[in-house]
Amino acid sequence: MQKEEKLLETSLPDIIAKVAEIKNAIASFLFKLENEYATLNWPSMLDNFALISSNMNSLSKVLKGERIPPLRNFTLFPVLLSPERDQELEKLTEGRLFMCNHEVVPDYLRTKPETDVEEKINQLNTKAGTIPSDNAQKQLNNLNKITSNILDIINSYKEEWDNESKQKTQQPQTSSQAETNTLIAAISMGKGLRLQSQISQQQMQQQMPNMQPGQKPMSVGKVPSTVKTTIRAGSHPYQRS
Amino acid sequence: MENTFSVGLKHNIAPHQEFLLQGSILDSHKEVLLHRLRGLCDNAEKAPEPFYDHEMVFMLRGATAQQNPVLFRVRRSVEPRDDTSWHIRYLGTSEVGDKSRHTLVRACFDVACSNNVVQFLNEMGFKLDHEYCVKGYFFHKGRMKVTVSKIFRMAPSGGSDINTQEAMSHSHLVELSVVAPAGQEQIADDMKNFAEQLKPLIQLEKVDQKRLSVQ
Amino acid sequence: MGVVSVYMFPVPEGKSGQQVVESLQKSIELLGATKTGNFCVDCETFQTSIQNTQQRQVNILHSSDHPASCFAILDAGTCLVADSLFDGLMQKLKHYYQQRKGSKIESKGQRYEFGDFVFKVGSVSLASSFKGILLEIEYCPCIIAGDCWGLLKEMASSIVGNVAEQQPNVIKNKLEHVYTTADTMCQYLEHFNNYKKQTIPPTAVSTGR
Repeated sequence: MQKEEKLLETSLPDIIAKVAEIKNAIASFLFKLENEYATLNWPSMLDNFALISSNMNSLSKVLKGERIPPLRNFTLFPVLLSPERDQELEKLTEGRLFMCNHEVVPDYLRTKPETDVEEKINQLNTKAGTIPSDNAQKQLNNLNKITSNILDIINSYKEEWDNESKQKTQQPQTSSQAETNTLIAAISMGKGLRLQSQISQQQMQQQMPNMQPGQKPMSVGKVPSTVKTTIRAGSHPYQRS
Repeated sequence: MENTFSVGLKHNIAPHQEFLLQGSILDSHKEVLLHRLRGLCDNAEKAPEPFYDHEMVFMLRGATAQQNPVLFRVRRSVEPRDDTSWHIRYLGTSEVGDKSRHTLVRACFDVACSNNVVQFLNEMGFKLDHEYCVKGYFFHKGRMKVTVSKIFRMAPSGGSDINTQEAMSHSHLVELSVVAPAGQEQIADDMKNFAEQLKPLIQLEKVDQKRLSVQ
Repeated sequence: MGVVSVYMFPVPEGKSGQQVVESLQKSIELLGATKTGNFCVDCETFQTSIQNTQQRQVNILHSSDHPASCFAILDAGTCLVADSLFDGLMQKLKHYYQQRKGSKIESKGQRYEFGDFVFKVGSVSLASSFKGILLEIEYCPCIIAGDCWGLLKEMASSIVGNVAEQQPNVIKNKLEHVYTTADTMCQYLEHFNNYKKQTIPPTAVSTGR
C-alpha cells in the first residue's frame, strides 16, 4: 500500500499537468467563441475540437499507464464540511469554488450516476427482464440481419466506386506510345514503307543501317498488342492492393 | 528583279517554320477524339473535313560526304482527285530544343506545283524513296492545324484503291502543327495548351525522330 | 492569257540598243497601242556541281506577269510551274545544283496593250551588259495556238517583218494543245540560251570574267 501511495504521489503532477492542458485548451476555445464569433470559421473550430480531444486522449493514456495505480481502488471522502469561505480552496480552484459545503460536495465527489438516471437504468433493466428470451433472440437476430444487410450495401457501393476510379486511371489506354513511334518513324523516315517499293534490299540497308534486313513490316504492326498485355499484367498488383 | 520569295524572307513574313506536336489514337477510340476535336476547333457546326492524300518521298543522293541526301515530299489529293493539289514539301531536321520549348521546330517549305512534278524530279536526278497513302480528317483552330489520319502502305500493284492497301498500324496518327514565320515562339505555348485539353485521350508530344531511328 | 510568240529583234550595225528599242516602241505606239506599265522576265541557271556525273541544268525563270510563280525548266524541256517559294527549295539543293556565276539574264521593258494584243518590248541584258532585244506578242482571246497562229503572224510581220514567218519551236510542237505560260517561258529560255551562245567570248572579255 505504501508503494502504491508513493507511486500515486509521483504521478500526480503528471496528471495535474495534463488536466491543466485540457483546461487551457477549453478556456482558449471558449475565449475564441466569445470574442471572435464573428470571424471564426469552421476549420478553426474543428482544430480546437481536435486539440481538446487529443489532450483528453493523452490524459486517458496517462491514467491507463502502468506507472499509475488504478484510481478506482482509492476512496475519497470529505473529512470536513465548512460553510466558511476557504481562502486556500479558492486559490487552488482559481476562484471557481469558495467553500467546501453540503451543497457542492455531492456534485464534485459523485462516483455514481445521478439518482434520476439511476432510476431510469433500473426501469430499463426490469423491462429487459420481462421480455421472454425467445422474443429477445428474435429481435437480436433481426438486428443482426439488418446490420449485415447495410454492411453489404456499403461494401458493394465501395467496390463500385473503386472500380470507377480504376477505370478512370485506365483511360489513357486510348493511345499507345509504340504505335505513335511506329507511325512517326514511317512518315518521317519511311520505316516499314520502303520494303514494298522498287528499291532493292541492298540499297535499303545502306539507307537504314539500323533496320534488320529480314524485318517484315508485319512485325511492326504487331508491336502494340504485346505492349497492351504487358500494361495489363503490370496493373494487376494495384488492383489487389 | 527581286522575287516575292526573297522579299518575304527578308521581311520575315514568309511562313517557313513548322511547330509540331505528334501523337496517336487507337482506332477504337478515334470517334471520341474526333468528337472532342470538333468541339474544340473552329467550324464546330460542320462535319470534320476528310482528306485522302498520296505522298511520294523523293530523294537526291550524292557521292560526296557534304552531299547529305535531300528529301522532297510530293503530295497530292487522291480523293477528290484534283490535279491542282500537287505540291512539294521540304522538311528540315527537327529541333527538339530544351524543356522550355514545348514543340518540335523544323524548317518547312510548302510549294504548290504543276502536275508534272514527278517527271521533273526524276529528270533532276531524284529517285522515289518510298510512298504511302494517308487518309483522315482535318481540323483547324485559328492558325493551328490538327490532322487525325491513318497511314497506308501502297498496294503492291501500285494502285491507290484504299481497299487493297494495308494499314500501317491499329492507330491513327494525330498531328498538331502551325507553319509560321521564324521567331514566333509564343505559338508553341498555345499549342501546348491545346494539347493539354486532349489529355488523357491522347498525349501530343514532341517526338524526337532521331531517337526513333536508333531504336 | 492567250497564245504568245517571242521574237528576237535584230540590232543593226552602228545603232545602239537604246535607239532600236525607242524606234520599236514608237512604231508600236503608232499602231495605237497604249502603255500599260513595265515588265520583266528573268532567268537564272543552276547546274550540277559534281564533275563526273551527267551534267544537268535547271533554269529558274520568273515573270512579272506572274509574280507568285516560278518556272523551272530542265534541259529536256520539262517545265515545272511552282510557287515562287521554289527558289527556297533550290537553296536546299545547293550541294547538288549550284548557281552558275554571271548567268543571270533578263528581258526588261515596256508593256503595251492594243485591243486583244499585248506587246512587250524587252531589252536583254546578261550580267548587266546589253545583249539584244526581244519582242513578245500575245493574242489574248485564244488558247489554242493552231487556231490563231495566222492572226498572230500577221500582227507580228507588221512589226518584225519576215522573222514572223518562223514558228517558235514550242508552238510548232503543240499547235492543237492548250497554250500555257510555261510555253512562253520556254520560248524566252530558248532565246536567252541563243544570246549566251553568241556572246560568250565577247562577254568573257568585256566583263573580265
